[in-house]
Amino acid sequence: MSATAAPEQKKGQVSAVSPRRRALRPYLLVLPSLLLTIGILYPFGLGVFYTFFDYAATKPNPDFIGFQNYVSIFTSSDFWQSAWVTLRYAVGATLVETVLGVGIALLLFRGSAAGRVLEKVLIVPLMIAPVIATIMWSLMLQPSVGVINYLLGPFGLGGVEWTDSPRGALLSAIFIDVWIFTPFVALLALAGLRSLPRDPFEAAAVDGAGYWFTFRKLTLPMLWPYILVAVIFRFMDSLKMFDVIYALTRGGPGDSMMVLQVRGYQEAILYTNFSVGLTYTIVIWAAVFIATRLLVGIFGRAQARAAGP
Amino acid sequence: MDDNAPHGRKSRVRASDVVTNVLTVAYFVFALFPVFWILLLSLKPDKQLSTTYFVFDPTLENYTAVLGLSQGAEGIPFVRFFFNSLVISFGAVAIALLVGVPAAYAAARWKFRGSESLLFTLLSFRFAPELTVIIPLYVIYQKLGLFDSYVGMIWVYQLIALPFVVWILRSYFQDLSPELEQSALLDGYTRVRAFFLIVAPLVRPGIAAVSLISFIFAWNNFVFPLILTASHAQTVTVGALSFLGGEKPRYNFTAAAALIAAIPPLILAFSIQRYLVRGLSFGAVKG
Amino acid sequence: MATLSLQGLRKEYGDLVALDELNLDVRDGEFFVLLGPSGAGKTTTLKCIAGLETPTAGRVEIDGRDVTDVEPYDRNVAMAFENYALYPQKTAFQNMSFPLNSKRYRVSEEEARKRVERVAETLGIRHLLQRLPRELSGGQRQRVALGRVLVRPADVFLLDEPLSHLDAKLQMQMRAELRSLGEMQNTTSFYVSHDYREALALGDRIGVLREGRLVQMGTGEEVWQRPADTFVARTFGQPEINLVAGELVDGPEGCLFRSRDGEIEVLLPNRPAPPGTSVELGIRPLDLEVADGETPPDTVKLAGRVYVVERLGRELEVTVKIGENLIAVVTGKGSKDPDEQVTIFFSSSRLLLFEAETGRRIDLEQEDVEAINRA
Repeated sequence: MSATAAPEQKKGQVSAVSPRRRALRPYLLVLPSLLLTIGILYPFGLGVFYTFFDYAATKPNPDFIGFQNYVSIFTSSDFWQSAWVTLRYAVGATLVETVLGVGIALLLFRGSAAGRVLEKVLIVPLMIAPVIATIMWSLMLQPSVGVINYLLGPFGLGGVEWTDSPRGALLSAIFIDVWIFTPFVALLALAGLRSLPRDPFEAAAVDGAGYWFTFRKLTLPMLWPYILVAVIFRFMDSLKMFDVIYALTRGGPGDSMMVLQVRGYQEAILYTNFSVGLTYTIVIWAAVFIATRLLVGIFGRAQARAAGP
Repeated sequence: MDDNAPHGRKSRVRASDVVTNVLTVAYFVFALFPVFWILLLSLKPDKQLSTTYFVFDPTLENYTAVLGLSQGAEGIPFVRFFFNSLVISFGAVAIALLVGVPAAYAAARWKFRGSESLLFTLLSFRFAPELTVIIPLYVIYQKLGLFDSYVGMIWVYQLIALPFVVWILRSYFQDLSPELEQSALLDGYTRVRAFFLIVAPLVRPGIAAVSLISFIFAWNNFVFPLILTASHAQTVTVGALSFLGGEKPRYNFTAAAALIAAIPPLILAFSIQRYLVRGLSFGAVKG
Repeated sequence: MATLSLQGLRKEYGDLVALDELNLDVRDGEFFVLLGPSGAGKTTTLKCIAGLETPTAGRVEIDGRDVTDVEPYDRNVAMAFENYALYPQKTAFQNMSFPLNSKRYRVSEEEARKRVERVAETLGIRHLLQRLPRELSGGQRQRVALGRVLVRPADVFLLDEPLSHLDAKLQMQMRAELRSLGEMQNTTSFYVSHDYREALALGDRIGVLREGRLVQMGTGEEVWQRPADTFVARTFGQPEINLVAGELVDGPEGCLFRSRDGEIEVLLPNRPAPPGTSVELGIRPLDLEVADGETPPDTVKLAGRVYVVERLGRELEVTVKIGENLIAVVTGKGSKDPDEQVTIFFSSSRLLLFEAETGRRIDLEQEDVEAINRA
């Protein structure tokens, strides 16, 4: 008798499941998220829709005005001023934090004693809400109680009201952005470095290649995809930046720091010109979309060239 | 290139190593000093606020005032804000998981019509400025009575949390061989039981990572509560900012408030260090 | 213990037809092997039987019950997967007892423990029960997977190439053990493989699958000695059966096979088809022998020149060139040098004849009576 004999088989209820019911299963699982997505898509659609009207708190029954909103903002100096400062902010922040982030990653990759310990707290600035981080730096930059002025005092740079001038405000904003988001780039680059195959580097070392040569010809090309991901995310997000700017100066001094989304906020919520504000956001959306595709294209081609035949 | 490989001579300290250590420490001073200094500021009593920078008698008065346990910070119910943040962030994550996990599983296991386009739609939300959806919602919520409510905020946060959950967990599910579930089916388990007993435990790290990251994003968010809440459901990020306004801003209070607002995400972040890269890059990089 | 019946089974994946009108019956307690190259549809068949895939058309019957639309957990079948599919976070013991904890096949904890230990003992893995799958070797994992199948009595055991990822020695060892397992002897088993040696060693009956169609079904002896077509003939045997293209001609002594280049002529026992029919002559390397001086009477002799010689341990694989044709011979004796003139011989009872166009075997026992009458 076989070793697993003995127990009677439970011939329980055997019911057939119709193929149609079976085919429905995936749709049932997806249904709730589908509903939620529609729930979010609806306001989006509505947002786009309203840009073709002149909806405002003063005009609760708006008229259809076609592309007039778009025309008027593209011809307003306010918009172009916003676009210009947004671009400077985004490029400046992304550039600095990319270079710095990759540099930090390279440093940490070397596995120094300091690096191994401090890597664990790399993520701290990133986890603090941008608003909170801005508050912190505002306090630090405060002329009366802030520590920055205290530290810079001996160098004769103390007592500056950093956010009083347009240039100072822009630099401060970029500085804060860099402080918060450099770890993001560093984390991505570090993960990239750690995932690279060892062999090419060992071969290069055997062939007597120096550090910079190895870096330019081997490390950088292989690291491009990771750097690209970081750059795209950061550039995208900084084009849309709201928190830091708003918390720092609400867009001031004057109008100098009115990045696009802050101006959109001003129009829609403070001046209650809903349609105008929405138009700003749609333009931002389009800009982000285009920028991303351009970036992917440029860097993609650069990578292909760097990788060689 | 990488010095993680063991060195031949450990005794000689190379110049490059010293430089590396110095630069590394320099960066981390830059990164951590603000947190440290804010901590100091938050412990400074009023009297010594403008007089000294580093030497003072520490006090917890600022914290008790901010938390409403003592005088000084009336008009800003910070404890309530903190509580709101907790409720809304937890709620947002819970809903996102409830809805997103089955969707991610379905997306991983079945190829059905529209699955790719649905995912891409979800992903494109990431490109859009928050205001695009907030402004219409500002109007809609007032009509629906969802303005300044927990439900309204939890719903809106799905915009961030849901695509994230589905996108990331889908790749975790795809990493699992379908044969595991098939084996469980033949072993006598229904699909539902097979999922909970076999599949879910294996993606637990993914679920943990996604939950924590979503919680942090929800907690740290500013623009949504700024516009869509008022006194009732306002969160701690908006609340902290209100300490800076006014004629005589209480800097030490602000510092205490900022730290209180920053602590929960920091604590959570330390538990998910490992999964961070995959999450933050939306799966583009499998750190 | 149950019969298994596949009727008109058809499975399509979009435009791809994986199974095309599959009909086969497995008897109660039989060890059936489905043999076929990769992509033939073996795993698809298995999954349809298990209920993991739903056929596009046709029926699956287990023990007379139509289970075509029944969920896998209600079919009372157990399956061993090609890649083991062991639950990574469970120990070997937990993997094996998992089926016994399900609602459908539940037994008491005590009973479960006893059974797992008994089966583990039989498979020689008793000492590994507390280990996790990642701590086990390939062979050990395979046994755990098998153990998970054996712990509960099922109507049918399904085995998807369970030995294919083991090294050659282990494969042979497991093959022997598999058949001797009591459980396997009492349960209807459906085993899938691409290895003909496994099929011959394990199967009571073998089904040969090609591109979703069952080409032949029979015992090992039947498929070996009476293959339905050239595909089946070539599937069994290493080196492959020798196939020589040619046609039937009428000769003074009777019906002859003549190769295309005319160099090989073999007298056939009768006239199985009209003269002029394009055919292929088949003779297995193992049925051929190299003459060492005298050749036995009553054998067909062919003369040729040695082309290639390969020594494989005790055996010699000699390829002989006769005209345009290369004939492989496996022999145990002697040594031969390339370019040496040799005579090879075989018994005419061993030869096989196939229609050139369809590949179907022509039955040599039957004479083409009509053709003879017409002639």
